[in-house]
Amino acid sequence: MSYDDYLDGQPTILTAALTGGIQGKETHPELPETPAEIAAAAADCEAAGAGIVHLHARRDNGERAFSTERFQAVTDAVRAATDDVIVQHSTGGTAASDTLRAEPLRTDPPPEMASLDMGPLNRYDRLTTENTREMVAGLHDEMQERGIVPELEVFNNGHLNEALSILDRFDNPPYLNLVFGPGTLSPPSPRSLLTMVERLPDRVEFDVLGFSRHQLPLTTLSILLGGHARVGLEDNLYYREGEYATNDQLVARTARIAEELGRPPATAEQAREILGL
Amino acid sequence: MACRHLAYRESDGETEFETARAYCTVADRFVQPMRADICTERYDLDPAADCEIYRDHAGLAWDDPPEADPASDDQPATDPAREGDGS
Repeated sequence: MSYDDYLDGQPTILTAALTGGIQGKETHPELPETPAEIAAAAADCEAAGAGIVHLHARRDNGERAFSTERFQAVTDAVRAATDDVIVQHSTGGTAASDTLRAEPLRTDPPPEMASLDMGPLNRYDRLTTENTREMVAGLHDEMQERGIVPELEVFNNGHLNEALSILDRFDNPPYLNLVFGPGTLSPPSPRSLLTMVERLPDRVEFDVLGFSRHQLPLTTLSILLGGHARVGLEDNLYYREGEYATNDQLVARTARIAEELGRPPATAEQAREILGL
Repeated sequence: MACRHLAYRESDGETEFETARAYCTVADRFVQPMRADICTERYDLDPAADCEIYRDHAGLAWDDPPEADPASDDQPATDPAREGDGS
């Protein structure tokens, strides 16, 4: 993926990250948590231009869940509410055991895609998500066995080293999600994004995730650079300062921008073609 | 077991929820779902080791082990009926 893809008007894959695994309704009253709420948000986002929905599961009280059973409830509801959107399950999970981290891969049918974290990151003041190489490889093996295409989560420049080191495992274009934000994430700036993109081999497809107020500018820059965009309440709660967003509002805004820039939102079918699903 | 400062509440006087959610009586606010896993001691998490709010309240230094918690023998204030993941 490159600037030439922008000039060629390649469609932009829009991913909607609907819920996440950190915040809940205590932070944003409309953040979808139940299967029904997540399904409704997924349908709205598909209508707004999303080709992929990135899913997490929660308990009834909003707390995190990793079990196949809870992911099954979410993914069933989403598939029933949407037409053709690509379902991507999260395998992230600070403190959860390796076995639990694999459970979202074991739904029936399996998700078409799943996230695969590329290395450690800090949470709060005293937690670290380790994401050891052995665990990452184990999740990747199971994804391959189940025909699930991973999205490689590159939380910082060191994680890019990790991702580049496993590209020979991919027959289709590897899909990297470049993450920008505070703490152990890549510093959120245009220069930081450019530095990352310059290191990507031509065969790589990438999308960009910017936390909070960095979501709009960095996803827009990604479109100009030939990349794709992930938006949604998992990463950013606000449409503008002081005004809560909804998932579909964020997707619709990025879809409009992509259209104006000559790279219209990819349908799910186009996204499958681009990513070799 | 669960953090002695954890309560499950449907309201904090300003925000109402249909299902009771994790509330930290030290921070005096509802906590994020990920932090609630520390409060409920899921996934081998331990408030005395992993929660800066708990440790600050207990007067623990950054390198004090959880056993140094002066309240380590206390019973939890609430028991949210710890459960397996997800169901």
